[in-house]
Amino acid sequence: MMSKIIYGASRLMAWFGGFVLTALALLSVVSITGRAFSFAGLGPVPGDFELVEAGTALAVFSFLPWCHLKRRHADVSLFWNAFPSLLKRVLSIVSDGLMTAVWLLLIWRMGVAMESYRENDEVSFILQMPIWWGYAASMIPAVLGCIIYSWRLLESLEVVKANEDFVPDEGGR
Amino acid sequence: MDALTLAAWSFPVLLVLIFLRVPIGLSMLLLGLLGSGVVYGSVSPVLVQMKTLAYVQFSNHSLTIVPLFLLMGQFAALGGMSRDLFKAAEAFLGHRKGGVGMAAIGACAGFGSICGSSLATAATMGQVALPELRRAGYSGALATGALAAGGTLGILIPPSIVLVIYAILAEQNIANMFAAAMVPGFLAALGYMAVIAIYVRVAPRSAGGIPAVPWSERLRALRAVWPVVVIFVVVIGGIYSGLFTPTEGAAVGAVATGLLAWRNGGLSGKGILTAFELTASGTGMVFLIVLGAAAYNNFLALSQLPQELAEWVGTLGLGPYAVLCAILVFYLVAGCLMDSLSMILLTIPIFFPMISSLDFGLSAEHTAIWFGVLVLIVVEVGLITPPVGMNLFVIQSMAPEISIRDTYRGVWPFVFSDLLRVCILVAFPAITLFILRF
Repeated sequence: MMSKIIYGASRLMAWFGGFVLTALALLSVVSITGRAFSFAGLGPVPGDFELVEAGTALAVFSFLPWCHLKRRHADVSLFWNAFPSLLKRVLSIVSDGLMTAVWLLLIWRMGVAMESYRENDEVSFILQMPIWWGYAASMIPAVLGCIIYSWRLLESLEVVKANEDFVPDEGGR
Repeated sequence: MDALTLAAWSFPVLLVLIFLRVPIGLSMLLLGLLGSGVVYGSVSPVLVQMKTLAYVQFSNHSLTIVPLFLLMGQFAALGGMSRDLFKAAEAFLGHRKGGVGMAAIGACAGFGSICGSSLATAATMGQVALPELRRAGYSGALATGALAAGGTLGILIPPSIVLVIYAILAEQNIANMFAAAMVPGFLAALGYMAVIAIYVRVAPRSAGGIPAVPWSERLRALRAVWPVVVIFVVVIGGIYSGLFTPTEGAAVGAVATGLLAWRNGGLSGKGILTAFELTASGTGMVFLIVLGAAAYNNFLALSQLPQELAEWVGTLGLGPYAVLCAILVFYLVAGCLMDSLSMILLTIPIFFPMISSLDFGLSAEHTAIWFGVLVLIVVEVGLITPPVGMNLFVIQSMAPEISIRDTYRGVWPFVFSDLLRVCILVAFPAITLFILRF
């Protein structure tokens, strides 16, 4: 049950990121068109660069958990098949554990950064949009990501059962 | 231990982590943060650095081009252009000796002009061209070898994600990089076609032929590929002429290929969601490496290792070409084990200062661009060399009846043509650089 929710959530996040990215592409096209017709009184979308930047961060944070579950992160698996199965198990645990630990650390620091931007009322250059909004938006998929990484760690530890309906891309493996 | 020694020792540790199959980006991130902590002698500067590390990288305006190009590639794959491209190339080349194979290469080149990723090109063109090649009597070795090599045209012909990353690391203009990669990319396609022409003469039984088609039909087939031409000209032309920024160009390309896919019914229902999922896994992969490389390169910069290494190489009194060749050979060897983006993000901050300090009789900008194109080619060779050439696996997985051993055998002549092309481009930098005069 929990497994279904975790995998479903990461898929939904990937779709959501795709929609965000498509929206940013459309926004850029509208902005270019506006700029091209500036003689007719049109203009670029104000702050388009800032929106694309914050939006891309949101999309990337939404994409990362899916990539992790699909095992699409770049790695070198040349010697993997030669390892004894116990070593494979230990390495999977270590690798998933490190991923979870590093991201927990990173979102803690991101949260601290968000707080300080909020206290200083720092805003973006053109739209005067508070910087912390961008952090806050990305924080949601980042926290969900940590939950998903922890779940994969639990799977590696064999505390929970691996999701057998889900087929990761094993690349060439 | 001083910072320099520490940085030097971090390489073997990094390699051990990577060989234990810890994701490359994660390995770099860990060592970068730990190493910086040791150099600073305290954790607090590292904790400060970590506050903005991820968000700043993920919202970096130059890098926003990467997910947009990946999305463009996925939409292009759904756009149904792969079949039209193949049919058009086949109409012109099919009746020649080895013509169907050459058509597959031509179609890969056409697809590569609207797609910045090798794997997407290999996967998309393989699905269309592999059955056609088999039907025309091509041996498994030649068919899979040609398509695996053809797939690399996705990256060799702009737009190209690897070039974008190189341009950012070497602080070069992306438009100029794309322009400079154009002629070498075209030469790559010609080289692969030449390989097929020679292959079928040496081993005549490895390929069959199809009858010639009349000119009226050729022109009709050619007309069907106009959207590809329009998208390529608008995106690359728009970026090069300065009509829009590279990121905006990628956005235009994503919208244009998206419209094309929509027109051809590729976006209905599951299509668009699958495209999003593939964009997600591709983007996630790139950005974890980008994040790791940011932390690791920050550590290396703190330790002064890249500068010291560049100075040390300068004192060796080696000729500039000896250093260049050593670096290119390094990439060829490392490419057998590692993917191209990880290699570039890991090594360009070290190799680029070295190359910049050498005198090739070119301006600093031209040296950087020329070196970038050479690196692009040698890292892409890694996609078609055993044991971990990803393109080989992508193509081979479509044809389980062909053994991977046959695929390895079929791809060697194409690897040889890559190496020959690198030698020519090293000897004559003008082939790469003359286009920048316009």
